[in-house]
Amino acid sequence: MIDVYIITIIAIILAILISILRFISLKDIFTKILTTNLLGTKIVLLILLVSAIESTNDFSDIAMVYALINFISTIVILKYFENRRISK
Amino acid sequence: MKDYIILRIITKLTIPLILLFGLYVQFHGDYSAGGGFQAGVILASGFILYNIIFGIDVGKAVLSQRMSKILMGIGVLLFVGVGIMGIILGGNFLEYNSFSFDSTSGQMIGIFLIEIGVGLTVGNVMILVFYAFNNEES
Repeated sequence: MIDVYIITIIAIILAILISILRFISLKDIFTKILTTNLLGTKIVLLILLVSAIESTNDFSDIAMVYALINFISTIVILKYFENRRISK
Repeated sequence: MKDYIILRIITKLTIPLILLFGLYVQFHGDYSAGGGFQAGVILASGFILYNIIFGIDVGKAVLSQRMSKILMGIGVLLFVGVGIMGIILGGNFLEYNSFSFDSTSGQMIGIFLIEIGVGLTVGNVMILVFYAFNNEES
């Protein structure tokens, strides 16, 4: 059963590497922000996998907080790059 | 942000869940990860999301800067008050053993009140930092 987890973790790490390569090779700022959001989602999946391996429920709270901060920071950065200020 | 209908609807749907999760982290902090500091930050992040989407004037109508400062002071007063209550009841500063007839339940009451004070203070400090970065004249 632990092999399934290890294979999944290796697949997610490969996806993270592909995302980082795509982030470096891009020029468009909005697609870069989208790539950052994608990286955050991958890290949430990694945290949940570690939680499943350790068979505890404590890490799922941390994963939820990470997803929430990811959502809010993406909205704030997009709003800043659209009109150069976040209050309005 | 009047014309971003997807953002507005998603925000209206998620803000109650964010606040509920913050309250869960606050009151379940004894048994799992969390506590007053983290709960305050999560509650403040929900409020900051509301401010960003609906405008800072609507957010100030919900919780003004003056009210936020008052709540921050109330949090610190609750913390110090519980500490001095331990001295009055015949112990050291922040000693909860004499709060109730039993030392275990006394410690539970003390930790509960302390965590509420920490959560109030940290959440309102985060909201005030957000307001300080978004003054009208800047």
